[in-house]
Amino acid sequence: MRIGSSRLKILVFFFIPVLVLFGIGLVFGPLGSSFLGTTPPGIFQVPRPTVELPAEPVFHVGHFSITNTLLASWLTIIVLLVLSLFLTHKMKLIPGKRQAMAEAIVEGLLNFVESVAGKKHARMLFSGVATIFIYVISNAYIALLPFFGSIGVIEHDGKFAPLFRAANTDVNVPLSIAIMSFIFVESWGMRAVGVFHYLSEFINVRQMVEGLKELLKGKIGQGVMNIVFGFINLFVGVLEIFSHLIRMLSFTFRLFGNMTAGEILILVSSFLIPLVFTIPFYGLELLIGLIQALIFSGLTLVFATIAVSPHEETE
Amino acid sequence: MGGFASLGVNLPLLVVFVINFIVLFVLLRLFLYKPVMKMLDERAKRTKESMELAEATKKEFEQAKVEVQKQIEKGRQEAQSIISQAMQVGERLKEESRQEATKQAQVIVDRTRAELETERDKIVGDLRREFVDIAISAAGKVIKETLDKEKHHKLIEETLQESVVLKKS
Repeated sequence: MRIGSSRLKILVFFFIPVLVLFGIGLVFGPLGSSFLGTTPPGIFQVPRPTVELPAEPVFHVGHFSITNTLLASWLTIIVLLVLSLFLTHKMKLIPGKRQAMAEAIVEGLLNFVESVAGKKHARMLFSGVATIFIYVISNAYIALLPFFGSIGVIEHDGKFAPLFRAANTDVNVPLSIAIMSFIFVESWGMRAVGVFHYLSEFINVRQMVEGLKELLKGKIGQGVMNIVFGFINLFVGVLEIFSHLIRMLSFTFRLFGNMTAGEILILVSSFLIPLVFTIPFYGLELLIGLIQALIFSGLTLVFATIAVSPHEETE
Repeated sequence: MGGFASLGVNLPLLVVFVINFIVLFVLLRLFLYKPVMKMLDERAKRTKESMELAEATKKEFEQAKVEVQKQIEKGRQEAQSIISQAMQVGERLKEESRQEATKQAQVIVDRTRAELETERDKIVGDLRREFVDIAISAAGKVIKETLDKEKHHKLIEETLQESVVLKKS
């Protein structure tokens, strides 16, 4: 009987209000009013959502304009700094709750890196991969807070510019992370296998030089063969360079596209049916934020693992 | 590059974001990764050490147990040997005292016998002398003749000696 009454309470105090709010939103929101031809009451007249791909500037410092995404990323950094200082405040051998949380985060990420890259290189790769993961997921989650996109300034031309906007939806942010990921991967590769050995994968002239030598010695047939294969090697090296550069673009647009799409999805869903309809999409965004952070850091980790493992010398 | 510009790619902003990322990287490294990693390593080290210590203590305990067992065994053996020694000594003492007693008893018996013999001899001699005196006086009375007492005495003695010889033979 007790269980039954508590279930009844949940039904009465949670599901019924949610259903009522959903119904009100459906009927009086822009979707319902356009179908039914009613004029909604004043509080339901939602401004038409506008999608701005470039980040809107909020302040100007000299020639440089500080955009809302930049503010959001600074907020992320401050929150992360405060959080990490708070979690690692008084470290003890027997951890308290806060320290246990910090250790769970770090150890979880470290295990993730170790499981892909192996114990030997895990410590070197860890900082970069973990920072990418934490930065991406924090940017995504902080952007779900209510003051994002709602509080802002009206610019001179009457356009509304929110004070904070999800940092991941500014193409510069994914691009900057992708550039850092590229730099990380290349520098780790050079550190692990040596600069010349690492670069020889991209500019592979060994076989061509061999062929030229043989040509000078008079072995025409073998020399020509080696020169032809040398050209192929050079071409493969160029492809390799391009594949490394293209990775940056795919990184950038994967994160940018997913996050922007999520943002637009929330915007549109809260416009079409106001009030509670948008809540499930927030849940979806939580999942997408985690997945994107995992993909970004995971792919960086995989590329780094490939870069740090010495490639075979093809004879 | 018009497409990129309309997406919002902007070089100064990009540079600022890269710097942002580097700042975050350095901060997280300093305040999150380094201390936590240090703690994790420290704990792993401590765990290893205490495991080793436990192992060593266990081994020591085993050794001590064996040692104690050995000591107990040794003590038992010693006690056994002491007991058996004591029993031997007791046995010996008993034997000695018995022999002593026997000897003393023998001595007493011998002495007593000797005393008895001398007493008897003395008594026999006295008796003999008495008898001789009585016999002489009796004989004197009978024959009313006073015989030389010395001579007489000798005579009787001889007679007695003869009779003893006769008895013997």
